[in-house]
Amino acid sequence: MATTTATLSISSPNLMPGSPLSISASATLTKAGVTDGLTQLESGVISMVTGTEYKLGPLATEMAGDAHDIASYIYICNTTTEDATYYIDWGIHETMIGRLYAGDWMFIPWNASDDSAEIEVEPQGGTNTIEYAFFNSDFILTTAAS
Amino acid sequence: MPKLIPTLTLYSSDNTSDQLSFSISDQLTVIAPSVNLSNIIVDTTGANNIIVPANDNKQTWVYVKHTGTTNGSTATAQHCDVELTGNTAVGTLKPGEFFWFPFCGNGASVGVQLQSVGGAIQVEYGYWSDSTAQ
Repeated sequence: MATTTATLSISSPNLMPGSPLSISASATLTKAGVTDGLTQLESGVISMVTGTEYKLGPLATEMAGDAHDIASYIYICNTTTEDATYYIDWGIHETMIGRLYAGDWMFIPWNASDDSAEIEVEPQGGTNTIEYAFFNSDFILTTAAS
Repeated sequence: MPKLIPTLTLYSSDNTSDQLSFSISDQLTVIAPSVNLSNIIVDTTGANNIIVPANDNKQTWVYVKHTGTTNGSTATAQHCDVELTGNTAVGTLKPGEFFWFPFCGNGASVGVQLQSVGGAIQVEYGYWSDSTAQ
């Protein structure tokens, strides 16, 4: 099984006078409920036109999983260099959660519990380009149309 | 104004034949309200564990980490759900895992809450308001 590690550091020299902030967290990405590493990786770059909602990544029924939920991790970065009128709305299904402005990125363990928990992104302001990576439980091949 | 610099590193030597290894940073300008690194003992009722109050469309960066313990010393394998208030699921943390994501209610009066799947879990968290488009 593959071993993938994600490490986050958060620092600030001036958030509190005389007390620089320095946070570090590291995790090995594993399948839900077990210690096996995730074997599925998809990454890429996409340009998206404004005002359209896009689904990112697979649906829950397209992946195998067990225990509490299907394990998936998502990294998304908005690589646009435009001003603050350009951003990506991201959310779960129809619930908008936050915005990625130019250069912003996020990393989350995604709760892919069912097909109504898909990751959605919607560019605003104009064409935005994102880079992304998914680390997933095993994909389930679907039957081809005859 | 204070700056916050988050950095993510993803690494794997065996996920693909081409080694995965990259880092990315951001630089955020922080304004009030913000909560620096804090601890909370999370129980199984999300409404008891609201870590980011409803902020009505303010861009906020949220950090959450499952410490893998119930109280800082006793290990637990229970998962911790990260939700919007009202119980909309965002993701699930296994012991040792973390979140880093931008949150804004988009006009809806919702915040962020935590909910243990079973028993107590000690969770580390912080949030910082971003000056962009406030």
